[in-house]
Amino acid sequence: MRSTTTRIHSRRAALAVGAVATLLLAACSGGSGGGTSGATTAADAGKPVAGGSVTVLEDAAFAGGFPAGLDPATNVTGGANLSMNQAIFGGLFLISAKDDGSDAKIEPNQAEGYELSPDAKTLTIKLKQGIKFSDGTALDAQAVKWNFERDLKATCSCAPRWSLEKTDPITTPDDHTVVVKFTVPNAAQVASFPASNVNWIVSPTAAQKTGPDEFKLKPVGAGPFVVSNNQLNSVLELKKNPTYFESGKPYLDTLTFKSIGGDQPAYQAMLAGQAQAYEGMNNIALIEQAQTSGKFNVTIQPATSPYVIQLNTKIAPFNNEKARQAIYYATDFDAIAKGVFKGKYEVSQGFTGPGGKFFEPKVDGYRTHDVAKAKQLVQELGGLQITLGTISAVTATTINTALQTQWQEAGITVKTENYQLSSLIQQFTDGKWQAMLQTAGAWDPAAGVGVGFRFNSGAPFSGVADPKLDDLFLKAQSSTDDSVRKAAYTEAAKYLSDQAYAPFGLAFAPTNVAAKEVHGPGLTTKVPAILVNSGVNWAGVWRGKS
Amino acid sequence: MTVGTAAPSGPRSVGSRWSRSPVLRFVAKRLALAVPIIIGVTILTFWVLSLIPGNAAQQLLGIEATPDQVRALEEQLGLNRPGYVRYLDWVAHSLRGDYGTSMTSGQPVSALLAERMPVTFELVLLAFVVSLALAIPVSLLSARHPGGVLDRLVMVISVTGLSVANYVLALVLVLIFAVKLAWLPAIGYVPFAEDPVGNLMSLTLPTMAMAFSLFCFYTRFLLSDIVDQLHSQDYIDTARAKGAGPWRILIVHAFRNSSFGLLTLVGLNVGALVGGTVIVEQIFALPGIGQLLLQAINARDATVVLAVVVVFAVVAVVANLAVDILYAVLDPRVRHDSR
Repeated sequence: MRSTTTRIHSRRAALAVGAVATLLLAACSGGSGGGTSGATTAADAGKPVAGGSVTVLEDAAFAGGFPAGLDPATNVTGGANLSMNQAIFGGLFLISAKDDGSDAKIEPNQAEGYELSPDAKTLTIKLKQGIKFSDGTALDAQAVKWNFERDLKATCSCAPRWSLEKTDPITTPDDHTVVVKFTVPNAAQVASFPASNVNWIVSPTAAQKTGPDEFKLKPVGAGPFVVSNNQLNSVLELKKNPTYFESGKPYLDTLTFKSIGGDQPAYQAMLAGQAQAYEGMNNIALIEQAQTSGKFNVTIQPATSPYVIQLNTKIAPFNNEKARQAIYYATDFDAIAKGVFKGKYEVSQGFTGPGGKFFEPKVDGYRTHDVAKAKQLVQELGGLQITLGTISAVTATTINTALQTQWQEAGITVKTENYQLSSLIQQFTDGKWQAMLQTAGAWDPAAGVGVGFRFNSGAPFSGVADPKLDDLFLKAQSSTDDSVRKAAYTEAAKYLSDQAYAPFGLAFAPTNVAAKEVHGPGLTTKVPAILVNSGVNWAGVWRGKS
Repeated sequence: MTVGTAAPSGPRSVGSRWSRSPVLRFVAKRLALAVPIIIGVTILTFWVLSLIPGNAAQQLLGIEATPDQVRALEEQLGLNRPGYVRYLDWVAHSLRGDYGTSMTSGQPVSALLAERMPVTFELVLLAFVVSLALAIPVSLLSARHPGGVLDRLVMVISVTGLSVANYVLALVLVLIFAVKLAWLPAIGYVPFAEDPVGNLMSLTLPTMAMAFSLFCFYTRFLLSDIVDQLHSQDYIDTARAKGAGPWRILIVHAFRNSSFGLLTLVGLNVGALVGGTVIVEQIFALPGIGQLLLQAINARDATVVLAVVVVFAVVAVVANLAVDILYAVLDPRVRHDSR
């Protein structure tokens, strides 16, 4: 799943083309005024109508890349392919929110409900009765158990990182109940589901009958659509599942996903009427154009993962707190958010974003931009020379360049490095890196691999080794009481700030662009991202008259 | 009886025909040269892939994987073996027509290539046909009146075309012909067998994006070469003295000689053009091998990368071979020199 987090940067590499072409498009667009189009509410859209087709574009470098196919047990990019997975498999749980993105919560979908034991170690999932896969077999407890066990055995980055009891870790007391016993408490287990491969249950009968290679191309689930054609990384054609369990849904007859090389070609294809939706637009200029064109519903999703400058506190110079403090004082993320991102994204002082469950934008005592203090600290240190790295992608490298400028103003000598994913991993593994621009957090900070991925002592991608911080994160994920959790996360954010472990920045989130006649939850309404991208509930997407 | 007399002399006659035919000897030489070129390309590709940090196992398992997990998958995929062993193994399988399976998807590489090659080859072929079909008449017309309006216009267009990257041109074309005029599709591919008209329409903009710079390049070259021939070659003066008309001199004499240089350029361009499909296929969402190559590189899927690179190399080598053969056919001096 974390590979998904890093891949969001890669997708932006494709925007190099867009950077040039946006200017062209702007020049040719005629500067039509038009009203600003934000997210539509369900009431604005009217009553859903059945029928029709929708073509959705996905960035080939991210959500549109499915090189390993769409079998959840082997799909290494499952976290990026949320939409395709939701359309085919539905999901045990979904994240839902009010149309404006507020009050987000995990909702049972194919599950009837769930219960987490008070020690947050036993998860009991109750399934809805009568749900069938599109091959006619039952989606029952045995099928879910079979899927979980298959996922756990998979040689894949998508395999769940569950630490399970040795004896009978997954049991099925009856046909509609699955019990999973963990050894480590985690109150965010269910919050992790919507972006995890364990959420997407396949038909065991079809999987065994078809064989793994064919099943990657034509997986069978119980979602709103069934696969009719799948050309890896290019086109996925789906048709309505006639046995879908929600009455009257899905509304659409067919749904097609097409991979495309970035925001600019996608936007032009939408203008040409060849697609009705594009998920995950990042190009700010294009987002603004789409908003003012009057042709699209533009939905900027609530961000949950802020950028963070990880400082490697295990080696020089950041094993010295003064050096870390200098970075805090030299950094002005507000200026970057305003200058580079046109103020569209909020800056956070901790690891929670505006769409997050425990969002706290401010942290008591956070060191804000103060060049004089930064200069003084650099002087006291006798100078500061550092290397600031990040993934090789437009957004991240742009932020790094801005940071370099700001830091040099404070007398810090900065060398920037852009890494491909593999090289980035190598940097972390070698442990010789000094500063890295990354993203951290999730809708629930403990969801997925959790915020501890960046800060826990034992995590290979952490620059911090501090038992107190480890304890705070463990405390936060161990309680089933949200008020206890929030307090622990607030304390952890303050501790990170007090120790000057890592300055946080703007919380970036992808934007959905949809034709005016297309509506649906998560597409034209706001739903926070569990990890990186938000999920659309395709069963509820409909197309009215254009 | 006929059989009886012909049989003993058959092999000798074939052999002697082979040794006497300058064109065949020329082709044989070129084919013999092509083999080490393709081997060299595969070795280079294999070596470059080994230099890129990470491998398919690491990509598949993600950054959370433990070193033990990565090692186990490397073993499963055979990535733990020395590079030269993997290379020789790959060569042995490839010679039997077995390109293996994709490390990422498990799909047979030959099936992936078969599915995607027609898209790319059709695109490349159309780009060449369109660029040459436009460049030749435009060059001849311009050369007929050097310094005239058409000549100057061609100069401006050519310089502009050579200065614009094909991905920028692609986006401009989409904006004009798909967004503004709505004449052509902006993205997607329609197989020829499914709908021939739809197929040509789906490839029109990608073809224009690729062909325009070629057209400019060929026009610039051809025009200047023809003008040079017209003004400095004795055989042109001779033809004029014999009373040949200006169009005959232009087409039969000057263009024929200039076409050799053009042929060389076409041969050299094949490799670059096939490589150019990587970007154009992304922009137009065309499911060709350029798109496949990019995805395979990102996934460190060595089996797919190697297979695609071999296809690219074979195409470039075959194209240059075809050009050489055409030389030999058109110009007796080449045939005689090769003896």
